[in-house]
Amino acid sequence: MEKKAFHKDIVIIGAGMAGLTAALYAGRMNLSTLVLENGLVGGQIANAVSIENYPGFESISGGELIATLQSQAENFGAVIDEFDTIVKVTLNATPKIIETEEKIYTCDAVIIASGMNRRKLPLPEEKIFAGRGVHYCEMCDGHAYQDKIIAVMGGGNAAVDAANFLTKYAKKLYLIHRSELRADEVSQKRLRQNKKVEVLLQTEIKKLHGNGRLESIDIFDKISGEEKNIFVDGIFVNIGVTPNTQLFSDEINLNPNGRIIAGEDCRTNIAGVFAAGDVREKEIRQLTTAASDGTTAALLAEKFIRSLNR
Amino acid sequence: MVKVYTIQSCPWCAKVKKYLKSKDVEFEELDIEKDAAAREACKKLTGMDYAVPVTTIDNENFVMDYDKEALDKLVCL
Repeated sequence: MEKKAFHKDIVIIGAGMAGLTAALYAGRMNLSTLVLENGLVGGQIANAVSIENYPGFESISGGELIATLQSQAENFGAVIDEFDTIVKVTLNATPKIIETEEKIYTCDAVIIASGMNRRKLPLPEEKIFAGRGVHYCEMCDGHAYQDKIIAVMGGGNAAVDAANFLTKYAKKLYLIHRSELRADEVSQKRLRQNKKVEVLLQTEIKKLHGNGRLESIDIFDKISGEEKNIFVDGIFVNIGVTPNTQLFSDEINLNPNGRIIAGEDCRTNIAGVFAAGDVREKEIRQLTTAASDGTTAALLAEKFIRSLNR
Repeated sequence: MVKVYTIQSCPWCAKVKKYLKSKDVEFEELDIEKDAAAREACKKLTGMDYAVPVTTIDNENFVMDYDKEALDKLVCL
């Protein structure tokens, strides 16, 4: 069946903090605004249990923050489609074309706010134990580990926050990281004060074992050179993220890490195409800077669209 | 009747429910944290404890997680 075509002033790819902020601003400027998201609305923070560094909130869950922002954007007319998937983009054209599984959209400006994906555990056994002891969503799967032994892999804020959350289920929790922790001091302190927790730094996970589901792991202490096997019922993996930029790599300039090269004005190498949030090459990646990017990209996209209509 | 096994805090469970609603598919939601019988039924179905979201139409065939293509096939969209 032939796909139906629609025109929008602006299409925003991704509904994380940057994309939804851009949608809020674009909607308020009366631009016909479509947001396409094929993962979770909210992106990386959809799973965040408690956010304590977003101005204006002492503590708020990612779900609550995003639900409010989504509702703000929708109240100003932005449409969020979280079920269709983009199959192809043509950005170096007028108008720009975004083809999804179900429709074809033309538009005057595009904001790429496609964010990042969690890295998978880089072991061959990952495929065997994924969902059977190896997990990537604490809020979805943490409940399965009441009074069990849990390992969290990773050393950044996401890993330490996940570990803090999972202590409410675990009878014992290992935080395992190959180097030193990079998480906020406040989160680290909270974790280290919990008697259930053992932090294993300079330690790598070498192998997973189990019969049908995960039962134990081999870990390697890089300092002592000692390798040992420990019993764990589940591992929650938080070892970083990779940018979602594969769709754009033919047209948009990316850095060697796959992030989009764009300055503080969010402009990419193609006029009318902006990059916002964690997908943009920059030094600091926080919720606040994602919101800032979304704002900048939407305001400059509106200026670009106005220049086309002169 | 389509059944969806969920837990309250799971964002992918919310996405599956939203997707079924967007397609006008009626379903019964079973929260396995609150309903021990549902938890057992879900475990029996999937062989896995506390794995959600799980969608089934006949207590035999099921879809785990949010998999649009598989959900479409399961509920014959």
